[in-house]
Amino acid sequence: MSGFYVYGVVAAGSAVPASPVAVRLVECGSLAAVVGDVSLEEFGEDALARNLNDREWLEAHARTHDAVLHAFVGVTPVVPLRFGAIYRTEDEVRRMLETRREFFETTLAQLRGRVEMGVKAWIDRAAFQRQLARRGAAEEAASGRGYLERRQSELAAAGEASRRVAELARASHERLLAAAVDGVTNRAQPRELTGRLDEMILNGAYLVPEDDSRLVDEVARLSEEWGRLGVSFEATGPWPPYNFARIEEPAR
Amino acid sequence: MSVVERPPLEQQVTLVELVDRVLGKGVVITGDITLSVAGVDLVYVGLRVLLSSVSALEAAR
Repeated sequence: MSGFYVYGVVAAGSAVPASPVAVRLVECGSLAAVVGDVSLEEFGEDALARNLNDREWLEAHARTHDAVLHAFVGVTPVVPLRFGAIYRTEDEVRRMLETRREFFETTLAQLRGRVEMGVKAWIDRAAFQRQLARRGAAEEAASGRGYLERRQSELAAAGEASRRVAELARASHERLLAAAVDGVTNRAQPRELTGRLDEMILNGAYLVPEDDSRLVDEVARLSEEWGRLGVSFEATGPWPPYNFARIEEPAR
Repeated sequence: MSVVERPPLEQQVTLVELVDRVLGKGVVITGDITLSVAGVDLVYVGLRVLLSSVSALEAAR
């Protein structure tokens, strides 16, 4: 038995780009769902609960979900649905579109001609603290203070470094936001997941006009300004606008 | 170059990125859906699966 997996929503009549899995449009008025057939043996509720805990399964299907939506980036505005929206019949897919017509139409209009970019900032905290301390030491030498005062100022420096890091992350986001249409910050990913030595201090997503390099230019400027202090910036994308279709439908 | 030395972890970063976006974002449809993971915290599920595989990866080293 098969079900209908909905990847996202586009305007009716949109061309369907080549995709790693077969997808088609199920249309309703001005809207169309990007739909793929899935086996309910795999995506039925019980099977899904099991499969979500299988790393390889989850990875493969998360990649497929992204690849299908990615094919639309820069071609056709698409509202991404979250992973795992499955219907039993095409009629139910159409009803889903019909009952949320206004939301999808408004969101598609906002996303037209725009793409999502990701920007992460990383810090080598030891290097950052060393740089701050070096600066502090120069002031110490000039002031000629004693041991206890120096020790105290070392302790204060660690707290100062944390404040500076938080301030740096906030200021970076503000500057990136100024070079974008919209932007959000997400929780920084922990080292256990990133596998990096550097610590993530900014995990931002920005909505920018297609073929507009202002955000990427700003990332380059930030890298240049902060690189010496052990902070690096990294842009990814363009992504489907996952972070900018964020109105969650309330349960009825 | 560190990128070349650590391909599994580099790939992990991309997967983490996917979990963040594919499982964590996008429009959540609730109410009329027939088969639904709408009520499931997919990010929690995804991160747990990833973390367990990361510790397995670390243990294997």
